[in-house]
Amino acid sequence: MSLVSKLKQRNYQIAVIIAVLAVILAFWKPHVLVEGLQRACLYAVIALPMALILGIVGIINLAHGEYMMLGGYFAYCLNVYVGMDPLVAIVPALIAFFLIGMASYRAIIKYVLGAPELNQLLLTFGLAMVLEQMANLIWTSRPIKLPLKYVSASATIGSFTFGTYEFIYVGAAMIVLVGLQLFLKRTSMGQAALAVGQNPRGAKLVGIHVDRTYLLIFSLSIALVGAFGAIFMTRHSIFPLVGAPFTMKSFCLIAMAGIGNLMGVLWCSLILGLAENFVLSFRGYAGWADILFFALIVGVIIVRSRQRQVK
Amino acid sequence: MRNSRTLLYILILAVLFTLPFYTGVYLLNVMDIILIYMALALSWDMLLRSGQISFGMAGLFGVGGYAAVLLHLNAGLNPLVSIVLGSLIAGALAWLIGVAVLQLRGMYFAIVTLALAEIFRVIVRNLPDLTGGPEGTVLPSAIFSGNSTKTYWLTLSVAVVSIIASEIFRRTRIHFALTSIRNDEIVAKSSGIDVFKYLVFIFMVTSAIQGLTGGAYAHIYGFVSPEGSFSVDFTLLPIAMALLGGMHSTWGPVVGAVLLGVVSEFLKLQIPYGHLLVYGLIIVITILFFPQGIVGTLGQRFRKYGSR
Repeated sequence: MSLVSKLKQRNYQIAVIIAVLAVILAFWKPHVLVEGLQRACLYAVIALPMALILGIVGIINLAHGEYMMLGGYFAYCLNVYVGMDPLVAIVPALIAFFLIGMASYRAIIKYVLGAPELNQLLLTFGLAMVLEQMANLIWTSRPIKLPLKYVSASATIGSFTFGTYEFIYVGAAMIVLVGLQLFLKRTSMGQAALAVGQNPRGAKLVGIHVDRTYLLIFSLSIALVGAFGAIFMTRHSIFPLVGAPFTMKSFCLIAMAGIGNLMGVLWCSLILGLAENFVLSFRGYAGWADILFFALIVGVIIVRSRQRQVK
Repeated sequence: MRNSRTLLYILILAVLFTLPFYTGVYLLNVMDIILIYMALALSWDMLLRSGQISFGMAGLFGVGGYAAVLLHLNAGLNPLVSIVLGSLIAGALAWLIGVAVLQLRGMYFAIVTLALAEIFRVIVRNLPDLTGGPEGTVLPSAIFSGNSTKTYWLTLSVAVVSIIASEIFRRTRIHFALTSIRNDEIVAKSSGIDVFKYLVFIFMVTSAIQGLTGGAYAHIYGFVSPEGSFSVDFTLLPIAMALLGGMHSTWGPVVGAVLLGVVSEFLKLQIPYGHLLVYGLIIVITILFFPQGIVGTLGQRFRKYGSR
């Protein structure tokens, strides 16, 4: 494969763009590079489970960020009532949210799998509202943050100081991405899931239990995002609406990467994370960083539709 | 049959118009809320008939509100004129967004509209010189200096305008175009329907209605703020109302708005902080158990008995 045809592949294209930007940034504004990397991995780790659900179950889960928010509250409650450190609470959160995911799938999601896309969107939107308002009713809308000492760890290189604790996002993103890739490519269960994602009917014909695969993938994704809620709440304060922007940003990343492209999600979140931190670094314009993802998604949609028309 | 139905409409309209003469202020205020949400629910349903789902009502509602209030304050326009201009501005904005985004449909369009309220909120917050920033802008006095009878007539006319618009869209060629786009876009295209043009047009019209509603609301309550004007209420409640009443019809959203509007007054007193929970539950339950809504389900029943 020549270099040129390699460049035509989306992932390589994006990787080259990022590499060039990163080199420029490293000299000009090093903190943008470091914090952008951390933020990008935060986005990636939330978007990956959503991409998994969309790619295999075929449902766009608008309640995705809300499960993360619940995961944060779960870790908070364990900390307050049992005294468990949020990072230890990842393990019980994984188990609890696997069960919650199973319950959600069995009770709700299963019934709209064959329904029109509109009904699926409305249903998960309603579910998001229910979860949000439930959290609002139980914990009120007051932001909650635990006083943890280790989150403010930092390192200094020359005159440049940066937080080191946030590299936990990078670690989490790597674990989730590599773990998911290994699961999907190396295990028979993962290969079955990929087959179901490509063609549910064909998968059924060769004897794969489609419904059980959907259940497994949905619960696994909810478990991942719920457990990440425990990591998220160590650094950020949580409140009922904290998850909603992440749902939209995750979808933006998935739409940029293309459905079913897990590696692409990581590259696209690097673009979004670096771009947001770049805007944040200008004093007086920081407020505009929150709408960058919107500009990105509209840009992607316009480019995509041009490409489609040419074809 | 036709004459008696027209007579019925005129009678209902007359009763609604003269309502202020024999009821109290409280009921009129409740009616204001119901009529505002009724217009939003109708506008949402009108777009849904083309198969596109919008979660962006709160965004265009807020844009209409801000435009009306700022035009009134800065250009010194009459409040009613500024409300109409605000609705036109919301429509024009929707045209721009629609041209960019309606190339792709389904979930892409839905998610982009979901982001709209958030986007407009960020923009409004970051332009403090024009919009008053995070604190919002307060009008020196509400429209008609707070006269509840005239306010009621304003909201009534907003609701009537949206009902008429919805009926026009149901009775003309546009209805067939939108329905065929919803059912099968390729067939619609091969029958000579300019799909993109129709979708942009309907998105523009519904957004203008949302802007009109937002302008009326902002002038009635006399203030706009990033959190209040783009609140999720204005997306969630109309969807719950239209779904419960029944999609793809004029009377479904109307029935849903009246039902839920009355219920919400009760709920606000019972669970002041979590009453939105009930609307979320209504959406989930309606989609799971009777996606046709009340009007659709009852209509089916009647047709069944009729054929027997």
